[in-house]
Formats: sequence, C-alpha cells, structure tokens
Amino acid sequence: MKNLLSASSQNVPRHGATLLQFLVLGLFCLFAVRLWYLQIHLGPVFTEKSRNNQLRIEYLFAPRGFLRDRNGELLAVNEPAFALGLVREDCEDIPATLEKVAELTGLPAERVKEIYTRNKPKVKSFEPLVLAPDLTFDTIAKVEGVSVRWPGLEILSRTRRKYNYGHLLSHVLGYVSEANEAEMQADPSLSLGDFVGKQGLENRLDARLRGQKGKRLIEVDVTGRRLSEEQQGEPKAGEEIFLSIDLGLQQLGHKVLEGKSGAVIVMDPDTGEILALVSEPSYDSNMFTSGLSSAQWAQLRDDPLHPLQNRATQSVYPPGSVFKLVVAAAGLRYGMVDPKETVNCTGEVALGNHVFRCWKHSGHGAVNFQRALVESCDTYFYKLGMKLGVDRMSEFAKASGFGSVTGITLPHEKSGLIASREWKEKRYGVRWTKGEDLNMVIGQGYTVTSPLQVARYIAAVINGGKLLKPLLIRGEQPQITGQLPLTDEQAAIVKRAMVATVEDPRGTCHRVLTPGVVVGAKTGSAQVVRLTEELRRMGDAVPYKYRDHAWMAGFGEQGSKRYVVVAMVEHGMHGASGAGPVVKAMLNALFLGKKELPPQDVAGAASPTASPAARLEAVETQFPEPPVGILSPSMDGARREGDQ
Amino acid sequence: MSPIDRRMLYHVNWRLVGVMAALFAIGVLNLYSASGVRLGDGVQMENFYQKQLIWGAMGLVGMLAFMVFDYRRLHSVAWPMYVLTIVLLLAVPFIGKTVLGARRWLDFGLFSFQPSELAKFTMLLLGARLLSADSEKLNLRQLATVLGLGLVPALMIIKQPDLGTGMLVLLLLGGLVLFRGVKPWLFRTLCVLVPLVMPLFWFVLKDYQKRRILAFLDPATDPLGSGYHILQSEIAVGSGRIFGKGFLGGTQSQLRFLPEKHTDFAVAVFGEEWGFFGMITILSIFCAFLYQIAVVARDAKDPYGSYLAAGVFFYFFWQILINMGMVMGLMPVVGVPLPFISYGGSATLVNFSLVGLVLNVSMRRYLFKQT
Repeated sequence: MKNLLSASSQNVPRHGATLLQFLVLGLFCLFAVRLWYLQIHLGPVFTEKSRNNQLRIEYLFAPRGFLRDRNGELLAVNEPAFALGLVREDCEDIPATLEKVAELTGLPAERVKEIYTRNKPKVKSFEPLVLAPDLTFDTIAKVEGVSVRWPGLEILSRTRRKYNYGHLLSHVLGYVSEANEAEMQADPSLSLGDFVGKQGLENRLDARLRGQKGKRLIEVDVTGRRLSEEQQGEPKAGEEIFLSIDLGLQQLGHKVLEGKSGAVIVMDPDTGEILALVSEPSYDSNMFTSGLSSAQWAQLRDDPLHPLQNRATQSVYPPGSVFKLVVAAAGLRYGMVDPKETVNCTGEVALGNHVFRCWKHSGHGAVNFQRALVESCDTYFYKLGMKLGVDRMSEFAKASGFGSVTGITLPHEKSGLIASREWKEKRYGVRWTKGEDLNMVIGQGYTVTSPLQVARYIAAVINGGKLLKPLLIRGEQPQITGQLPLTDEQAAIVKRAMVATVEDPRGTCHRVLTPGVVVGAKTGSAQVVRLTEELRRMGDAVPYKYRDHAWMAGFGEQGSKRYVVVAMVEHGMHGASGAGPVVKAMLNALFLGKKELPPQDVAGAASPTASPAARLEAVETQFPEPPVGILSPSMDGARREGDQ
Repeated sequence: MSPIDRRMLYHVNWRLVGVMAALFAIGVLNLYSASGVRLGDGVQMENFYQKQLIWGAMGLVGMLAFMVFDYRRLHSVAWPMYVLTIVLLLAVPFIGKTVLGARRWLDFGLFSFQPSELAKFTMLLLGARLLSADSEKLNLRQLATVLGLGLVPALMIIKQPDLGTGMLVLLLLGGLVLFRGVKPWLFRTLCVLVPLVMPLFWFVLKDYQKRRILAFLDPATDPLGSGYHILQSEIAVGSGRIFGKGFLGGTQSQLRFLPEKHTDFAVAVFGEEWGFFGMITILSIFCAFLYQIAVVARDAKDPYGSYLAAGVFFYFFWQILINMGMVMGLMPVVGVPLPFISYGGSATLVNFSLVGLVLNVSMRRYLFKQT
C-alpha cells in the first residue's frame, strides 16, 4: 500500500509540498512574534489607549475660597462669567463660523482665527474651544439669537475671580489667571482653562484657596454618546481666608500715597500681623482674570514706575538715616557708646584726605547719644562708625534681620544686602576702606533694605527684641524668627531716643507728634545719586529721578494698643516732609480714628497736578543724559541729611 | 465508477473537517460577541451570527456537493469557465450594480453575484490544469503564459475597483507557480525584477488605495482618517494583553471604536476578548487547517489533485496572511476577509465548498489504483 502510494505520487512536486509546510511554519512564527509584541510587550500602552478611547473625564469645578479682611470685608470673590466656545465636531463650516464669531463679539477676525489655531491642539474636538473669554450680556443675547443657525457655538458659564478692591490690594492679593503649559505640566490636577494664583497671596495660598475639583468618569462610545457616569469625588470648595489686613487702613494708605511711588506698612509689633501693606503705584488685579492682552501686559511691564513691583517687599533701597537706629543699637551692644558722652559736631569729619560732612554744615555743637538721633547728627555717627567698623555693624545688622528675607507669605521677597569685608573682597576684589565704614553708618553705600525689614526691626526694638515673621492671615500663630542682640535697657534707650525725635521740637520727626499717643520715629533720606553742592541747593528743581528717597520708620503706643508704621516714598526728598505725612495719616487713623488726609506739605515730593510719571517724562526730555556735574563719581565726599 | 464508494468515507480527511468545524464555531461565537453594541444600559444584538449559521448550513451543502463527483472531471471545465468569467467581468462595467462606489456586482434578479468571486475559483481550476500537465520546472514562456492568463481577469477586477480580490487572483497563481517551481535562473531573475516592477502598480491604484498604503506606512499621519482603522485595530488586539478582556467584554468593539468589526476586523474582536492565548490558539488552528490541506496536496493520487489542493491552500493562506497582517498592523488596509471568522455569505459558501474540493481529492487518493 505504502509502496503503491509513493509510486503513483511521483508527479507530485516534492519540493512544493515542503514549501507549503514551510509557509505554514512561517505564518505561525510571524504572527506569534507580532502578537507577542502587540499584546504582551505593548499591551499596557494599548490598554491605556483603549481606556482613553472609552473614558472621558469631566471635572466639576470647586469654587475658589473667598478672601476677607480682618473685619470680614470681602476682598476677593467669584462671579459668573460667560465665554463663547466652539465645539469643532458639531461645527459644519469652521472658517465661516469664526467669521461669524468675530462679527458677534466685535473682535478682529484675525484675532479670532489666531485664538482658534493656538488652542486647537490643546482642546479635543468634542470639547468647547474658548474663543472669547468674557461676553457682555449684549453679546450673549446676540449669540443666543443665531445659535440655531451656527451649530457648534456654545455659551459656557464659568466662574471668574473678582477683586472688589482691584487696585487697593493688588500687591497683597496678587491675581489669578489661566494656568500655562508649565504649570499644567507641574501639577497634573490642572487642566486647560483652570485658574491658578500667579502673584501675591493668591499664589502662595493657592493650594488652600483652590479646593479640589470633583471628577466624573464618563464612558462614551465612538460617537461620544454617554453610556454611564461614575462620580469620583465631590468638588471641595476652597478655604475662605481672613487676612490680617484692615481694609480701611489699606484704603487710607493707598490714598495718602496716591500719585507717588512708595510703600507704607502697618504692623502689630506683638504678633507680627500686617494691618496695611500698600505699594504705589499699583495695578488692578481684575485685569488679569479675564485675560490680559499682550498690549496691556506690555504697558504694565514697561511702565517706568513699575506698578507690578511690590515696593514693600520686592524693592530694596538704601535706608539712609533710618539705619542710624541700627548702628546706634550696635554701639550700645558693643559698649562703644556711653549715652551720656557727647561728641562735638563742627559740621564735618576728616578721614585721610576726604572730608565727611554733616547735613548741618554749621554743625550741631556738643551732641549726646539721644540728641544725635533726635537731630540725626551725621558727625556723631561718623565717629561711632569709625569705632564700630564694618565687622560689628555688619554682624549686628544681620542679627537684626537685615540682609535676609522676613518670610512673609508673598512671592519673590527680596533680602536686601548688608555688606561685609568678605563680601566686598569677593564681589569687587578690593579691600574694604575706612571711608566705607562712614558711608555704612549713615545707611548709604552698599546697604539696601526693604521697607518690611525696617518694620520688622522697629517692632523688635519695642517688643522685647523678638524678630517676628510678618503675618498676613488673621489669628495666625506668631512666629519668632530671631532675637535682637540687645538687653531690654539698651532697647529702651533706643526707643526713648525715637520718642524724643518726635517730641523734641528740634526732632526730625516732630511733625508726627500725635496727642494722646506715645510716638517714636526716625527719618531717613537715602541718596539715589551723589549730587553736587550746587545741585543740592536747587531743592525742588532737582530732577525727580535724582531726588533722595524719603523714609520714616516709627511706632505709636496708646495703652495696650501699639503699631509700627513704616513709610517709604521714592524720590520723596526729605524723610519728614516726604514720608512724614504718610506716617501721620496712619497714626491718626490707628489711634484717633481720623481717616482724612493730613494737609499736603508744599515741600513734599508730590505736586498734586502732575503724576510722577508725567514729571519723570518731563525730566527726561530736559536731561536726556545725566548732565555733567550732577553725578560725582566718588563714593565719599559731601552728603547731607535732609531734614531739620 | 460510482461517484461515491463506501471506502472513500474511510479516507475522508476527518482532521481537516475537525479543524474547519472548530474555526467556524469560533467564528460564529466571535460574531455573537461582535454583534453586541452597547447603547445606554443595555446591549443591542445584531443578528450576524445567526445569518452566519445559516450560511454555514448552506456551506455544508456546498461542501458535500463538491465531494460527490470525481474531481478529475473539473479538468475539462477549466477553459469554458475561464471564458465565462472573462465575459461576465466584461459585462460588469456596463450592466453591473454600483455598491459603495465600486461596480462589482451583477444582478440576476433572484440573486446578485460578484464575477470576481468566480474568477478566483476559475483561476484555481485553470492554474491546476495548466501546471499539472508537466513536472519540469517552469521556463519563462510557460510562466508568462500562466501569469498572462491570470493578469487579464486580475486587472479587470482591480479596475472595478477591488484591489483585494484582484491581488488574490494573482497571488493564488503565483503560489501555484512556486508549488511547481521555476527554473533556478528564472527564479533568481524574478527575485530581482519583481521588487522593481511592483512600484509601477502605484499608478494603477485609486487615490483611496494610495492613501491606505501611505496610512499603513505611517498611521500617525492621519489618526482619524485612513490610519484610524489600523490604529483602532492595534489598540483592540494590544489591549487584550495576555488573557483578554473576556467574552463579550471588548470595549473597542462594543463601543464601536473598531471599524468593520463583523467583517475584515472580526479577528481583532477575538484578540481583544481572548488575549494572547486566544490569538495563539486561533493561529494554531489556522496553521493546523493549512497543514492538513498541505498534507492532502502532498499525498494526492495525481498531480492534478495535488495542484487543486495546493490552489486551495494558497487561496486560504493568502487571505489569512493578508487579513491577520492587516489586523495586527503588518499590512495596509485591503478588503480581504478572514476565512470562517469574518462574516460573509458567499465567502462562507465558497470556503466550505473549497474544503469540500480538498476532501474530494483526499478521499480519492486510493481509488484509482484499483481501476
């Protein structure tokens, strides 16, 4: 049988039969390997893709927490806003619809197209792509009227942050705006169109304010039809937060500084709570919530007066004579000052071949510790500076919190700078000179501080030496971050001198004398550039940008109530006349319940008719380049203290 | 000689019948799952699996019909069939019915019929007849004759347009040519020439066919267009992972992300629900099926029977290769169904009948020794 079979099968191609078997084997191997690759090697990838196909996630928005002032006044709330969206899948003719949108909203057609192309890759075709973020009721009515004829157009209701006092608190509250690419990548819970805090407390407290979005898993088929829904967590509203800010006080500070560039801080020296933190000029936080155009942004960013800058925490200035409060304390600390001892002020001090002048060229005569502070005698401090030297001054200033951030809950705080021998050698490769001791002692030279650091120091002088973290949230636990290296007696001596500066008719701060309140203060006028004697005498004719910065740092006490008030007015010229009225206004409000403004000083920096910006412009056209003679290249030489 | 001898029943290749039955059963079961479409709460069933069962029953009749006569009688009908096929194909452009943009059908009132389906069978018969005449390896003239005869209907079919069937006709003939073997020098020349000539076919293709090939080469270029089918099919198969999502558990198919899930992509539904083990099982059964046909081709009594079985082998082999390759992203999207798994009435009828033809060959392998 077998034989017969093979004999008669001769004509069947043997190799052909083998070929067929090899083909079967090849087929098996090819597909087995491919199946292994698809189902086992790439299985997890495809599983994920199949889930993405099948499941859509819908987020339920959590309302952002409200912000209130210490008395419960609403500062930041949420309000409904209506946006115009386009669902690409439902739209029949996208270019024509975009044209229609331009017509309905009044936006230029190119702008609408640009928004569309920019966001198209980020938005799925069945989700609405926001073309106009903020519709007026007029536009809403118009859209509703034609929506039947334009499928795909949708009015979306969203919530938008609303700042009730947009200009007043922009530097404290900051603002929210739509999350950008980087933020969404860093935080997977954010999706396109979500708002995040970008500046101020909105930024630093974002996690608490934002709450938690609810999530809903929706199973869909290929046409997007919803088959089932599964709730995965309810939305949790953001936390409502009461600030330590007192709205009335903040308003007052804003009003006093109106038209000027500067900052004022009111701080509770016992808890560190900030009652007012004003920086002028400011901007409106609401501008950012409905989408800032690039022109608006450029205008804010390039404004010569830098309204975005928080001058209380993000700007640092030479402290001028305010720094004398620090070096005077250092003198007591290192036993280099005997409060009873007097120094004779002839109006100048010679060091090597340089002459350092007192602001009062005729000299103060014999001055002791207290009178030196009361009248801000430079000669006394030049001599103290020689004795102390940079090392002690630097050590003490750093221990008093200068040169390091206060830790306030605001972004981008500046630490300022306290120079030291090592710092200068590292930075400039040059040794520290004796003359620089004398510049440092009067708060010039390399030293720069933020107004907030000054407030923290003043608070420490009167609260028993505690360096407190400035707090912006009501009732927060006080946090002591350091201790002044002063005994209570030494601090009391400094404090007494500050009070005398106000109460003594010759004192530089006499103008902030407030009946019924123990007030202590110290002025400062910090040089921006070195002016020649000739120019100094020009007084008010000195161009705005070359004028000294005006400082006043003080406190008021009445019974158990006490507050630290620090004001800084850029180019305010004289501490007393430039910053004094600001401090006075705050003291009046804090202790006397008076909310009106003190009379404007004629010699003050601001003339009510022209804004600093306008004057700055006028100055710049007058002096396109710094005129020869205004700037003297030398670091030492004549200087003056600006107030009598 | 009586058409049916009792002894023949002993020689029926029952293994082949067994694997075929297994494939058909899996196919119907899978179609049952592929028929489910989820709408809201419930699952709506379409009745493809029922229709497939009816076609299977008709296929069984066809299979028996192809077993009863002696296959050698087909030797003489090859040429008349060829002429008939060409005539019908010529008639299609003039009196054909247009379905989905392609003119493929001839309407005979009671039933519609695709001449291109007939062409596959005709070329199988003609190829087997021409090639079994001699056992020498093919020279150029013989090769040209066979391929030329095949090219006529193939090009007519491709023009309809039906790229899948047209290619299948050529591939079937090509397989038979390889089964017989070509002269070594000719084989080497072809190895060089064919890849050179292939690109010329690009110009014969319709735009949508070109797009499919481009989409195959890079599915990411147009994930919602031509590449969509491949991508969704790969997602379905890949997401089945080792053990699959379970019978009736495929989300890709039930939520209709998978296109053509009853027909061309039916095996993707199976891959999604049964995973790697299921796919390896079905692949093994297919291989066993092909192997059994190959065994019949090897053991056939005469060269003609051997070539007939080899022709059926290639008929199935190419469809399995092209369809599964497409489902797994190894081939462009070409409308070729997977035998026994894809839904299709006439295809099922033809598949069963061709298996009947193979059984015909196998059961008669001892017969004419005694005659």
